[in-house]
Amino acid sequence: MKVAGQSVPRVDGPAKVTGRARYALDLTVPGMTHGAVARSDRAHARILSVDTGEAEAVNGVLEVITGASLAPLDLRFGHVVRDHPALAVDRVLYHGEPVALVVAETRRAAERAARLVSVDYEDLPAVMDADEALGEGAPVLHPERIERTKDEGLDQGGEALVGNLCAAADFGWGDVDAALAAADLVLEGEYRYPMLYGYAMEPYNAIASFEEGSLVVYSTAQHPYMVREDLARIFALPLARVRVVVPYVGGGYGSKSYTKVEPLAALGAYVTGRPVRVALSVEESILTTRSDGARVRARSAFAADGTLLARDFDVVMDSGAYTDNSPVVCAKLANRCFGPYRIGAVRVRVRSAFTNTVPASSLRGFGAPQGNLAGELQMDDAADRLGIDALALRLKNVVRPGEEILPGKRGIDADLPADLDLLTTSLGWPNAPEGRGIGFGISASDAGAHPTSVAMVRLHADGSASAAVGATELGQGSRTVLSQILAEQLGLPMEKVAIVAADTGVTPYERTTGASRTTALVGRSLMAACADAKRRVAELAGEGAEFADAIKAFFGAGGEIIGVGAVRRHGEFRKMPPFWEIGCSGVVAAVDAETGRVRVEQLSTVGDVGFAINPALVHGQDLGAATMGLGAALSEQLVYDGQTLANPNVVDYRVPRCSDIPERLDQILAQRQDGIGPYGAKGAGEGTLNPVGAAVAAAVGRIVGRYPRELPLTPERVWRLAQTEDARV
Amino acid sequence: MSATTITTRINGREQTLRVDNAELLLDLLRDRGLTGAKPSCEMEVCGACTVQLDGLPVSACTTLAVELDGRSVETVEHLDAGGELHPVQQAFLERSALQCGFCTPGMVMTAKALLESNPQPTRDEVTHWLEGSICRCTGYEPIVDAVLTAAQKMAA
Amino acid sequence: MMLPSDFELHRPATVGEAVALRAELGEAAALYAGGTELLLAMKLGVLDYEHLIDLKRIAGLRGVTCAGGELRIGAAVTHRELETHPDVVRELPGLAALERAVANVRVRAAGTLAGNLAFAEPHADPPALLVALGARVVLVGGEGSRELALEDFLVGAYETELGEDELIEAIVVPVGAPGAVYRKFQVLERPAVGVAAVGNLVGGVFDGAPTVVVGAVDERPVRVGAEMLDGAALDDEGAFAALAEAAAEAVEPVDDLSGSEDYKRHLTGVLAKRAVQALGDV
Repeated sequence: MKVAGQSVPRVDGPAKVTGRARYALDLTVPGMTHGAVARSDRAHARILSVDTGEAEAVNGVLEVITGASLAPLDLRFGHVVRDHPALAVDRVLYHGEPVALVVAETRRAAERAARLVSVDYEDLPAVMDADEALGEGAPVLHPERIERTKDEGLDQGGEALVGNLCAAADFGWGDVDAALAAADLVLEGEYRYPMLYGYAMEPYNAIASFEEGSLVVYSTAQHPYMVREDLARIFALPLARVRVVVPYVGGGYGSKSYTKVEPLAALGAYVTGRPVRVALSVEESILTTRSDGARVRARSAFAADGTLLARDFDVVMDSGAYTDNSPVVCAKLANRCFGPYRIGAVRVRVRSAFTNTVPASSLRGFGAPQGNLAGELQMDDAADRLGIDALALRLKNVVRPGEEILPGKRGIDADLPADLDLLTTSLGWPNAPEGRGIGFGISASDAGAHPTSVAMVRLHADGSASAAVGATELGQGSRTVLSQILAEQLGLPMEKVAIVAADTGVTPYERTTGASRTTALVGRSLMAACADAKRRVAELAGEGAEFADAIKAFFGAGGEIIGVGAVRRHGEFRKMPPFWEIGCSGVVAAVDAETGRVRVEQLSTVGDVGFAINPALVHGQDLGAATMGLGAALSEQLVYDGQTLANPNVVDYRVPRCSDIPERLDQILAQRQDGIGPYGAKGAGEGTLNPVGAAVAAAVGRIVGRYPRELPLTPERVWRLAQTEDARV
Repeated sequence: MSATTITTRINGREQTLRVDNAELLLDLLRDRGLTGAKPSCEMEVCGACTVQLDGLPVSACTTLAVELDGRSVETVEHLDAGGELHPVQQAFLERSALQCGFCTPGMVMTAKALLESNPQPTRDEVTHWLEGSICRCTGYEPIVDAVLTAAQKMAA
Repeated sequence: MMLPSDFELHRPATVGEAVALRAELGEAAALYAGGTELLLAMKLGVLDYEHLIDLKRIAGLRGVTCAGGELRIGAAVTHRELETHPDVVRELPGLAALERAVANVRVRAAGTLAGNLAFAEPHADPPALLVALGARVVLVGGEGSRELALEDFLVGAYETELGEDELIEAIVVPVGAPGAVYRKFQVLERPAVGVAAVGNLVGGVFDGAPTVVVGAVDERPVRVGAEMLDGAALDDEGAFAALAEAAAEAVEPVDDLSGSEDYKRHLTGVLAKRAVQALGDV
């Protein structure tokens, strides 16, 4: 291989260091107007009336749009359940929900007018806690349930959805109760993982306009084809007449998956006939999407020799006011919580609850970190109690290559024992430096989502080639990696290839840019497209012909040859998941005993990626994801104070800073070419995050003498943990 | 809107402008096509909107446009005006110090301001200077490496 | 967010003109220097003024001078200037170190010390150390000028003794004091606790009780009696434990996102101990 496997420079690098890379927020279209959102100041209330008079009187205001004013349109979107209105119609379900959209000639006028929209509410009882929401007598957020969209890739079934149950996953095997009764050691604990905000630095924004009968939207969406579907439904347009274009995206991490502000911008354009930009602030973005917090009750049963006999997980997710992606997170949390171990008996019950809080949806890791905290900490605790080394305990139970962890699913396409050896060697386990603690853990995520991906390759008359793909460039380096695959497959230098991406009017269908799938799945569809193009060249000009010659011979003047390729749930992609994304991360940490402040001094990760098509990019993903894990481990949490968020800003929601980075970083790559992607690649970008929370907690636990059960490990929480007289978990 | 006439130098070009008093520097720049500086936190915390005002880094999101009067502002777009990337930009590429790129213009301008006031910073000094600039993608280490690399380049 | 409302901008050339404008415009006007606090509040809609009086261009408010055993810091002097000014670095290295860690590099480049003090945000770094050093503020108004101890100038959260027609002309800090250090604990964007200590050690023993002032916890800086350290050695654990207890009792913290009341009390004690111990390193 010439290009694949090389850390070639990012194709978007020069544009990004010079400030010339265009993000949706940097675009303007002629005649563009500005939308600003008036938001609910109640957690749960009936809208009695909306007075838009004062807002309309502001100079420059074109329209003040309310849910009720759009009566013929059904404003609801949602890829699993279509229950999320772009503007509240008769009720608001959380503080911060959009109630009206002001469209004005200037941002200043729109923002001023939005503050003047006056809503008359009748307060309704609110439920802010997920366990309470599932209990008796809680106010029900969605008394009338809407059917699911029956999308094969999204609808995971589960128990009957009544009350505030948004989604549920319930499965298992073996006799858990018998195993618990017979075990030498049973650990039981309740763990809490916070609700988080992805803080992609470019806040949600979109520009929408109706042009010649089509809706054209520029947006920050990670999954433009999913957004296209929602917009087509709302405006009763064929998919062919909705064009969603996604330029460079200023960070995604899952937080920009699915529909956000696009319907608002489109409604503004629909009503005014003018192009409308809706650009949210960070605070408004926090009020748009967060991740699911979780309360995890876990039991693990062990034999005296360390054999993991059974696991029993009961999880309640706080999923906020609307369905959004929580059913999928719920299903994934269930699949990922018990870990990549051989376990004779498993019982998992995850319930996602509606509460009167900001709706939850995807975030990097996607259910994995929530469950991993409990599962891995119980491995560490069990090791202590059984007098077995924590590494040895894991090695005894961890699955070997090819073994299933979910019956009927794809076997593990990774070598976890070898990964654990690499990791613990890097960490110096078990010999922590004086006063320090080591913590580490593993995870396995069923990644790749539903494997649908289409790619198109165009061979040009001058011997260059371009590919059109639906994948978005979120910073992960998709354009670079796909360029490398294109160059490698066609035997071209990087200078002669280009990627056109993420324009539903131009590029072929892509299910999502999420679940760490782009390299593996888009890569494979691109390889298929290259093969198709080469087949056509051979048909036209014989085997071994140069494609430029074939084009010239066939067309005489100009012309091009097009190849298409697709990946679908068929053949080698039949078995789900398309691949497993492994997490294998650990830390060495210190605790300031007097203040409780945790300092992570070393962060080691093993990227079991099959094959690194661009090692520098994988390194960046592994460190970036693990750093996000450190944020959740140490400082990040959205806090509700009564019915409102106490910290909807970057002043009080603390993400990792430069000084938080460990002194020693070791990002190890394990390349065994055991993945389904190009050249044996698998996905990366989320795995290293997933075990970090538990690893930091384990390190802290080893220092202070008892394992924490709740993240983030703020100084105060660690200080209190160290004061506690209770026995260990 | 109340307005003030100002004389300023934007990326080396002297100009006289009429600006609204309440206009923010970030909007003034972005409305003129200089979209390298980005709005993000809008609270002087994240650094995505960093530009150099008379050589010092400032948050353009919380600086009045009228502050340009009699002063000089430089944005990321000006760094390769001579046709070559600035050593800081080169180093960011070499050290893979960017992913989504949204923080990158601010990081580059912050780093450049540091190296202008302290041409040979220690690793700790770079970390301290960048403490007020958020990157959500990279884990910072490549950025710190890039600044140190740029310092070497500029010394050579 | 967030655009400030429209306002008239005034750019007086002299302190006298600024005072006259202040008298004329009254509460409709805000004094404006670095703007790092004011503009943010205006963007958030927390504050709204019809007039801003820009002090930055007044020559008389610029510069740092060192004479007669005092450092005189003009009202338009930024944190960044203090952090790097040779006189400050030489005479008051503890203040230079504090300034070096205020907020972030951009805020330090634009924000002024006088603005910081006048805004009187309780979670600020400078007040504790400046109070411990016996700093004074020079105020000038229609009636002429007056000096107030900073400790008396700061009344409460966002509340000062600044008169309606007055502005801060300078901050005066005595130099030549023994060691001065500031230690803070911060989990979010502003300090949760900051403790300043000023004192002198002779042969590893405190020569007199050090001055200890806690900032960022209460609405204004709080003095902690540290007489137990008079004559104590740096390794006198009993004396430091007593200091920590006194500091913890001196403050009245409130629960917030930086920590709960008892934790912040505890932290105050820890930081007081650490700040005073750090005098041994000066």
